[in-house]
Amino acid sequence: MHDVSPALHTAEIIHWIALAVMAVVYSLRIRWLLSFNLARDRSVPGNPAQSNAKKGARHSLFNVAMPWSMESTRSRKGFGFYLSFVVFHLGVVAGIALAFVSTIAPDVLRIPAVATTMLALIVGAFLVALYRIARRLLRPLMRLISTPDDYFSLIMLTVWFGLGACTQAHLIGAWGMTSEAILIAYLYLTSFFLLYVPFSKISHYLYYPFTRIYIGRALGHRGSYPVVRGEEA
Amino acid sequence: MSRPAKTHKVKMMEQQLAKKLTRQVVGSLVGCVHCGMCNDACHYVLAFPDDPKMTPSYKADQLRKLFKANFDWTGKAIPWWVGADKAPLTDDDLEVIKDISFGTCTNCRRCTLSCPMGVDTATLNRIMRGLLSHVGVMPEGVRVVSKDQWELGNQMGVLKEDYVDTLEWMSEELEEDLGHGEAAIPVDKAGAKIMYCINPREVKYDPRTIKEAALIFWAAGESWTMPSEGWDNTNFGLFSGDDGLGGVSARREYDKARQLGVEKIVISECGHGFRSTRCEGVNWAGEQQPVPMESAVMTMLRFIKEGRIKVDPTRNPERVTFHDSCNNARSCGFYEEPRELLKLVTMDFQEMYPNRAENYCCTGGGGAMSMSEYTPRRLESAKVKADQIRATGAKVVVTSCHNCVDGLSDLIKHYGLGCEVKQLVNLVANALVLDEVKEPEAVPAPAEIEVAPVAVASPLAGRKILVVDDEDDVRLFLTTVFEDAGAQVLTASDGDTAVAVAREHQPDLISLDLSMPGKDGVETFVELRRTPETEEIPVCVVTGHPEFRQVIYDRPVAPPEGYLGKPVDEDKLVAYAHHIIEHREAKVH
Repeated sequence: MHDVSPALHTAEIIHWIALAVMAVVYSLRIRWLLSFNLARDRSVPGNPAQSNAKKGARHSLFNVAMPWSMESTRSRKGFGFYLSFVVFHLGVVAGIALAFVSTIAPDVLRIPAVATTMLALIVGAFLVALYRIARRLLRPLMRLISTPDDYFSLIMLTVWFGLGACTQAHLIGAWGMTSEAILIAYLYLTSFFLLYVPFSKISHYLYYPFTRIYIGRALGHRGSYPVVRGEEA
Repeated sequence: MSRPAKTHKVKMMEQQLAKKLTRQVVGSLVGCVHCGMCNDACHYVLAFPDDPKMTPSYKADQLRKLFKANFDWTGKAIPWWVGADKAPLTDDDLEVIKDISFGTCTNCRRCTLSCPMGVDTATLNRIMRGLLSHVGVMPEGVRVVSKDQWELGNQMGVLKEDYVDTLEWMSEELEEDLGHGEAAIPVDKAGAKIMYCINPREVKYDPRTIKEAALIFWAAGESWTMPSEGWDNTNFGLFSGDDGLGGVSARREYDKARQLGVEKIVISECGHGFRSTRCEGVNWAGEQQPVPMESAVMTMLRFIKEGRIKVDPTRNPERVTFHDSCNNARSCGFYEEPRELLKLVTMDFQEMYPNRAENYCCTGGGGAMSMSEYTPRRLESAKVKADQIRATGAKVVVTSCHNCVDGLSDLIKHYGLGCEVKQLVNLVANALVLDEVKEPEAVPAPAEIEVAPVAVASPLAGRKILVVDDEDDVRLFLTTVFEDAGAQVLTASDGDTAVAVAREHQPDLISLDLSMPGKDGVETFVELRRTPETEEIPVCVVTGHPEFRQVIYDRPVAPPEGYLGKPVDEDKLVAYAHHIIEHREAKVH
């Protein structure tokens, strides 16, 4: 373990406890989802020459990495949104890594290549998050479908990204970020984030494999997924 | 401010929802992140870009709120935080949701393919429809159609005698066309290989598709039959969300197939019929596939591939395009066979874009054709479909779905596209080369005996027909067609005159327009039915407003004997008139 102040040490312990609580609640969440019956399609395969349940499920699961697979991410407008999605979620991964690695091996985050990558990802995600806030606030469609949870989750993540960028800057002594309080604040916010996630929309990533596999399996069994397109006009 | 107490209906819906929560459904309910990516996939959104209530996630949220308020941890603890505080409480709330669920979504499932999370919004909307139907909150058209399907076994309230009579009529026409009775439609033939099930729309509005299918089966030398019961391949349970109705309707077909001992059920060209019978029916009925099932498109394609029928594509020279039914393509993976068949029976096939599983809805799906209150919105939402069709330059839009036929016909008229809608059975029958296939042995007629003409030159000779229409050119057209068929024609341009002429001249048939200034066709129809001197005169509605269909069938009087949509096919009009008059006389005598 590295040498830390008592205040930072407390923040780190709370942070790890939050992680443990999140893991327990997530387990309960998955158990809750699995408590519902899995509906089985009794119909015979629809178009076996084209697809099947396994193929559909597999393609669907990795849909996230195939922007060409959906009309909503294939168009120019949709592809832009897809790129912002990638940046945003890579930023989340970087932010979580930052929180944990900073408590275990902060020196890793001071390696120039690592530091630059982390900072770029988190700042990129911060900018996308700002865009998303504006999008959610300004577009009537987004306002209509948004709940307080949607707004809060997004704002919390935006602050978290901002604080994460400052934390990474603090670790490498950039931007004039010298106070340890930034790192402590970041760890407390991450702890809250971990505790809040299972009860919010952010838990969608927990459900992603289930929902994607279910729809892929259902449509794959019928033979309509992966989508087959005619030649373009 | 305190919220009103939950009504009994809302409580019943909550109880019912608990029974519908499978793992897949719960996944779709909790998986939505409100990202709005589904938005542009919906034809309603494209037509109403300034109305955020058209977005698919908003429609699905109606069910999501109910779910979160009752089953989700956060929703139960802090409802307002996740929108569960906006879950329906009163019967007025349910009326609002009814309009969203039935009036702004055709359950086409296109948005599902655009959701990064794989949320099946159409399934959620269908569940909401089912919950509403469970407590009796549904559009009047859905209620009437569902009732007919529960009580009469088909969704258009066709009586068994009328169904059988129509099959006999088509058999007679085939006999006239072919000069022999070998192509007659077999009914309840035990041990036949194929049981052919149809959409009741074919009996009521388009019986010639039955005749064409019969011709193809005969030409292929197929062992087939039509059932006297369990013949409706459509299933309004798919649209109303009522799995109980879905199971009962599917089981009727399955039981009949087992009773007749057939090897296969062949489903006439109907998208929701195919999906209901072939794909969903077994799930609703809770049984395994009773016998193999396939679309008539697959059957016809096989006949050609096996050399059992010969076709000549030059008989269909005009440019055609193909519209994929959502239920066929998106929900059943059935999209290549129609294209393969089209290329065999037509000369100029032009693909429509996007197509197959990404095709746009015809806008008549999801039961929309039976909900006349939403017709203006439906037609406006059809703009993207109209643009798709226009871009192909096709003169004929082919589809393998009866709902799509009606939906496309409506939008073609509304947007002035100048093309017509056909089904593959029409094109295959038209391309059929009969002298290449096995025909009954010809018996040479003695030279002195004259062979009777196959077609009757003046099928309406001696008949008196009253044409009621406010448009001069339509009246003239109908008059000409009927006079050419030998009828004596009387005319009236408004409802009052029509009733007066009918009382005085006692025509054999009244051709009645519905949309007329002053006393409209519906009022005129009701008055004719309630006037003792005219109540027995058969009426054939001829209208350019299919949305009025339900209105007239809802009147508390006997329904019209026939119904034709404009533009009217001349041959069909004469055939209908002839059949209605003959049928009425047979009943009287």
